Amino acid sequence: MAGKTIVVTSGKGGVGKTTTVANLGTSLAKRKYTVVMVDTDIGLRNLDVVMGLENRIVYNLVDIIEGKCRKEQAMIRDRKLPNLFMIPAAQTREKNSISPEQMKDLCSTLAAEYDYVLIDCPAGIEQGFKNAIAGADTALVVTTPEVSAIRDADRVIGLLEAAMLRHISLIINRLNVKMVKKGDMMSTQDIISLLSVPLLGVVPESDEVVVSTNRGVPLANDRNSKAGAAFIRMAARLNGENVPLDGEGSHGFMGRVKQLLWN
Amino acid sequence: MLGILRRFLGERSSGHIAHRRMQFVLMHDRVDITPDMMEAVKNDIIKVLSRYMEIDNRSIKVNLEQGKDFMALISNVHVKRVYRHASSI
Repeated sequence: MAGKTIVVTSGKGGVGKTTTVANLGTSLAKRKYTVVMVDTDIGLRNLDVVMGLENRIVYNLVDIIEGKCRKEQAMIRDRKLPNLFMIPAAQTREKNSISPEQMKDLCSTLAAEYDYVLIDCPAGIEQGFKNAIAGADTALVVTTPEVSAIRDADRVIGLLEAAMLRHISLIINRLNVKMVKKGDMMSTQDIISLLSVPLLGVVPESDEVVVSTNRGVPLANDRNSKAGAAFIRMAARLNGENVPLDGEGSHGFMGRVKQLLWN
Repeated sequence: MLGILRRFLGERSSGHIAHRRMQFVLMHDRVDITPDMMEAVKNDIIKVLSRYMEIDNRSIKVNLEQGKDFMALISNVHVKRVYRHASSI
């Protein structure tokens, strides 16, 4: 059976697409699925450093597409998980060195061999975005609770729907629960009601994320981390498992009462 | 504590303000209606209504509102009086 091809996108830069790909990839691989992550941010690659694999790169995505190497030669195996792979983006090329059709072909060959193909999409809605979504059957839209990220996410959702991508879910990253309680940040419900897309999960704001990227070890390797646990639960939901949105979707009864008082 | 104080002074929380602003912005982004266009719609409504009644031009409000699965254009106009000859036009 063919695997799932999932694009992680956002419109706005810096909201956590690459972190999401690294952590979902790690979580799914820990569940014994074969996973390949594809960095399509040509010219501004980052998945390699987030995964801590930057010094192993020989070939890249453009090399595969131009036929300079076999895809297995460009794939880098994770340091811990033998069933997790990454295809790095080219650093010295341009977004238009590949076409949506070529990405579509590559994704379908990868999906034939792997359970999950996770595509890290570049910021923006230009060529790089079109390439990244071409071969995907599912899209995860990452946003933070800020007005600029939400506006861009809405725009991207519109473009994904126009591209006939029907499975779209939302990931809310960097939610600061304290600020939401004070009424100084939009809540999960606020964001869902604005974007009207089903929620896959919420990642709390956490210093651990910076630490993990510093080290080049995704947080999903550490069960004690709150943000890491959020990614692990999200991966389970992505896998079709029924994991409740405990504490992610709402803030309990008192939280709701407080919010009513504040607003 | 400061938050509660502000609340009693009638100030909205910034999260609430952000939500309201985004409702407005996203609606306009989606339908692609510029503020200029809304202004033109408003002026045309004034023009049509003025044939039948005297209205307070400054009181008119035209807003797009997003329901769960519909969008509505809601206009509020303060009518000063209806012209007698209106029914014979």
